[in-house]
Amino acid sequence: MAKVPTVHRIALLFNGNKIFDREIISGIGEYISSTRASWDLYLEEDFRCRPQGIERWAGHGIIADFDDPVTTAALKDVQLPVVAIGGSYADPAQYPANRPYVATDNVKMVKLAYDHLIEAGLQHFALFSLPESDCNRWAQERERIFTGLTEADGITGHIYRGVGTSAQSWDTAVEQQIAWIRSLPKPVGIIAVTDARARQLLQACLFAGIAVPEQVALIGIDNDPLARVLTRIPLSSVIQGSVEMGRTAAHLLHQMLHGARFPDTRILVPPVGINVLASSRHEVRNHPHVMQALHFIRQYACQGIKTDQVADYVGISRSSLEWYFRRELGRSVHDEILRFKLDAAKRLLEQAGSHAAEIAISCGFTSVQYMHAVFKRELGCTPREYQEQFAAGLEQAAAAAPSAVRQKKKPVGTSLLEPTK
Amino acid sequence: MTHFTLSHTTAADGIELYTLRNHGGMRVAISNLGASMIHWWAPDRYGREADVLLGFARVEDYRHNPAYFGAIVGRWGNRIAGGRFTLDGQACQVDRNEGENHLHGGAEGFHRQLWQAQPDPEGLRMMLVSPHGQAGFPGNVMASVLYRLDEDGQLRIDYTATTDAPTPVNLTSHAYFNLNGGTCDIRDHVISIDADAYLQIDASLIPQQQAEVAGSAFDFRQPAPIGPRLDWPDPQLKLAGGFDHCYCLHTESEPVAGEGRVAQPLREVATVYDPGSGRELRVSTTEAGLQFYSGNFLAGVQGRGPQAYAIHDGFCLEAQAYPDQVNTPHQEAVILRPGQVYRQTTVYRLGVRD
Repeated sequence: MAKVPTVHRIALLFNGNKIFDREIISGIGEYISSTRASWDLYLEEDFRCRPQGIERWAGHGIIADFDDPVTTAALKDVQLPVVAIGGSYADPAQYPANRPYVATDNVKMVKLAYDHLIEAGLQHFALFSLPESDCNRWAQERERIFTGLTEADGITGHIYRGVGTSAQSWDTAVEQQIAWIRSLPKPVGIIAVTDARARQLLQACLFAGIAVPEQVALIGIDNDPLARVLTRIPLSSVIQGSVEMGRTAAHLLHQMLHGARFPDTRILVPPVGINVLASSRHEVRNHPHVMQALHFIRQYACQGIKTDQVADYVGISRSSLEWYFRRELGRSVHDEILRFKLDAAKRLLEQAGSHAAEIAISCGFTSVQYMHAVFKRELGCTPREYQEQFAAGLEQAAAAAPSAVRQKKKPVGTSLLEPTK
Repeated sequence: MTHFTLSHTTAADGIELYTLRNHGGMRVAISNLGASMIHWWAPDRYGREADVLLGFARVEDYRHNPAYFGAIVGRWGNRIAGGRFTLDGQACQVDRNEGENHLHGGAEGFHRQLWQAQPDPEGLRMMLVSPHGQAGFPGNVMASVLYRLDEDGQLRIDYTATTDAPTPVNLTSHAYFNLNGGTCDIRDHVISIDADAYLQIDASLIPQQQAEVAGSAFDFRQPAPIGPRLDWPDPQLKLAGGFDHCYCLHTESEPVAGEGRVAQPLREVATVYDPGSGRELRVSTTEAGLQFYSGNFLAGVQGRGPQAYAIHDGFCLEAQAYPDQVNTPHQEAVILRPGQVYRQTTVYRLGVRD
């Protein structure tokens, strides 16, 4: 190797429209800023990957998404140090030859989702995948893993690939999804291969009046904030170790720029968490009337619904519904609605720069004074005091361990943000 | 105010087992043999209980405890190069029980002694007298630990020690944790350690120099899973077969060579999270060092399960002074002299992250 230049030109071949790719890039950035490495990063300005002609690029190293067959092909004969990133595979032949490879551990991710659904008390399981394509070999890998896990437990794992997403066929696609969900034994726990896929299914469930999580408990993969914003019921999800994958790839490339070679190194990164939200908080014990009512409350509590509307939705009298609530949950329907609104308000107050008046409206309180009264009664403090206490708690935690705070922050359930209907 | 109940059973030959309980249903079982933490039952995300500590099936098995499961180690936790040091101009030779080096108080260290339980209104207090000459150390040392469990799932360990002759003292807890309760190893645990530097070691695991964690597998200033880091190519990891390194925690002021011990204010220094169970361990301490050990020597150790432990089945976070500090310019900070009281506090807090 010739003399090592002080500034290295590094290409990052990713599609930054995906949360997974963005997190990898941020992990790479984090690594660079923690070291004295001086890298001139080459990234398309729209963060999309166009690797054509990369073999003629006069740079020093490349970190690339090898899940993308176009990228893989374009880098086939590139002699520069390259670190590959992608999904893990049971079959070693699926990995590129002579390249260090940093993988998201598909086995661990599917297992984490599957174990979560088992713990939530489900006995029937399904996987919502994607139509087969060489762009999503990881989806088929997740299918194989899911089948392996269910077979090992002696149960049937239902897999549905559905059709690709296009505006023309959207209605048909949704109809087919609903038909598939209807055909499954209930209650069923469904793993979606991505949050984007989970969001479609969740929408189909709501459209068809199938209660989530009572009839269908749903969990995705990616912990994509966008998928959460677009769903009425907060979506549970497996959090990939993508930031750590970025750090790992950057570390390997950093060493390679100084002459090290890792042709056979494969580092599998497990998921770093699971964000358990309402879509998979399955509770087995509840009576169907209560489940239906909760399903309705969860979606519309923040729009100021009343007990009568809930009873109408369930199709029983208000007094019967109250009786079931008392028996199953030990509280009234009104209490349950209030509890949900209070939780929603708390979560919004935890965000910096939020205003009590706006929160009162968006959480379905008739006035800011009423929200104030509910806070005093239920929590013994005003909304402002709650906000201050939370901020003080964060500061304290930040002073104790700056690193711990970031991962502790709870994402905000999104059905709580500005209901659209 | 601590709320707890304490019960105890006698196992054999004066070995007792004490159990601290809180109202949340958490239980910590501690034996007077080695003042060892034997079990810590704690709920996971789904409210299901499991024992998050590694250990043996029977309390009697702790008589020989080559892995130091759960024990309070002393009077010198960690290593001393060649088992030799010079104190007040006097050459001392202590037990060499790990190759050429001294480790964890030697073959007859605190971990193998029967401690004496004392009634205490707040928790479980245990005392030990370590006679002059034990493992080769000078001076009669009187050590005490107080274990307290509170409603937040905090297990607080307060150590004190006094001596009648100058001697090195470095006490720590050698509890091995596996937050998933032992269903698989600890490679998927996500750890963060609030330290910018660690001590690099030689082939016999003795610290040689301080190094920045930045850019290395040792950088846990942001949380990262342990498993992939074990796979990073790093000569320091090769030497120890994983992590067995002391992190240099932040201190209020730069330590000054020749000065005596300065305990730091109790501050949170590390967090470990298990995504599968949702359990989270937070460690706070008054110490300057934190040894992160990834269970590199566990293979083949027959513990309480039907199968022997495998490598990386548990991890330790041992809050302490620096290893071999007795052979550095900062020796005086680890010497306890007559009239002084050694005080150390470490808190392990176990909870569930939602």
